[in-house]
Amino acid sequence: MRTTIPLVLTFIVGVFMVGEFFIPHWGYQQVKSLVLEFGAVVSGVAFFLGVINLVQVNMPVVVGREDDWQYKLILLLSMAAMMVIGLWEGTTRMEDGAAYKWLFDAVFIPLNATMFALLAFYIASAAFRAFRARNAEATVLLLAACIVMLARVPIGEQIPGIGEYLSRFQNWLMDVPNVAGRRAIFIGAALGAVATGVRIILGIERSHLGGD
Amino acid sequence: MGLLERFQNMDRRWIFAGMALAIVVPLLFPMQIPFRTDKEVIAIHRAVEALSAGSPVLISADFDPASVPELGPFYETHLHHLFQRELRPVVVTLWPTAIPLVLPKLQAIAKEYDAEYGRDYLFLGYKEGRELVIKNIGQNIYQQFPKDYFGTDITEIPVMEARRQAKDFPLFVSISAGFPGLNEYVLQIQGQYDLPMVGACTAVGGPDYIPFYKSGQLIGLSMGMPGSAQYEQLVWNGEPKVGVNLMATSAMDVLNLGHLFIVLLIFMGNLAFFLTRRLEGN
Repeated sequence: MRTTIPLVLTFIVGVFMVGEFFIPHWGYQQVKSLVLEFGAVVSGVAFFLGVINLVQVNMPVVVGREDDWQYKLILLLSMAAMMVIGLWEGTTRMEDGAAYKWLFDAVFIPLNATMFALLAFYIASAAFRAFRARNAEATVLLLAACIVMLARVPIGEQIPGIGEYLSRFQNWLMDVPNVAGRRAIFIGAALGAVATGVRIILGIERSHLGGD
Repeated sequence: MGLLERFQNMDRRWIFAGMALAIVVPLLFPMQIPFRTDKEVIAIHRAVEALSAGSPVLISADFDPASVPELGPFYETHLHHLFQRELRPVVVTLWPTAIPLVLPKLQAIAKEYDAEYGRDYLFLGYKEGRELVIKNIGQNIYQQFPKDYFGTDITEIPVMEARRQAKDFPLFVSISAGFPGLNEYVLQIQGQYDLPMVGACTAVGGPDYIPFYKSGQLIGLSMGMPGSAQYEQLVWNGEPKVGVNLMATSAMDVLNLGHLFIVLLIFMGNLAFFLTRRLEGN
């Protein structure tokens, strides 16, 4: 029963949602709208479940003083603070002077931006160490990366003699080999998604049910 | 040979210091190197210019503080462009971290043009559900957003009159830093409803979305900070409104030196690598 009901539900909803692309009947579309509404509600609940899961995973680490328990504690306290303050201030949380807005503007934005900004330095270091023309493939990758990096910014176009050609070659690289490769990846991924979807709908693939 | 090996294995803090200089120096001493405009960005500008005054434009602004330097300037410039043309932005977001970034800018820029909330612009807010929200935006926006962000019934808001679905808007703009965003909008609703759609993405996502532009699924595409800077130039033509800061244009100098620095590092690293191999061979 524990697996049968979810499998039956998966089959019914899966087939129904595939059918919406082929059945324009207004009654069918009405039911589809209802199903989408159900899905939106379930997504909201799943968001809440994520919070519970975060606490379930990190609280034992803090209580048991395991490795890096201090960071887990900061994580839990930060989450609790934003939740409590956000709920307390309610609809006024985004107004000037609100504590929630201040925490977001003064803490979250700088931290989030900093984490991403650090990438620039690590990319420079990684590029210096990893981009070596050890073989033909690595050389092609290296040259393509350098040409795109130079030509995507104005300074590349200003290089005397070759700037214009660099830009044209970069456009060709992005428009032809890149598009060809991406389309191949998209088609492969789409076929894989269709195969996986059919397996899930038919109950062959059951990993989404969890458990044994 | 010792020098070459030491160079190849140098402490990465020297690289970090060089990168820091490449970022800070152009901010202090702008170079203002001119740049051309890509056809993909020109297409976005033309798509907006082709709309008649009073048309609503649906915008999905899906970015976070990490991607503000790349997409923030596009978002702000786009709002200025819409209000200049007397178009009416209806903004929605799929990212919870976007609201504090998107809403204040929308309100501030609307105020500059004396735009009235509800009549000239609207913020629908954020809904959790990712592709489900996208499907509902395609099928029935009223169902997904029965009220706007401030709790007003959507049926009472003038700008949403007779706009039940995404295809009821003459233009849809996806400003996206990742998932869910531009890719999901194209996959879920652009093809099904044949939406006239333009996109703005981060530079790292650009190569993923160029196929959508080449196939006509996207009318135009702005990639990263260069795209935002080009869009700024198209909208302002070098003469921005008083108080408007062309952030992306100013930051292009940082991109110039930063990219040049990385390319030089790669070149010097390979030079040292080949010299080392040659000396070892001898």
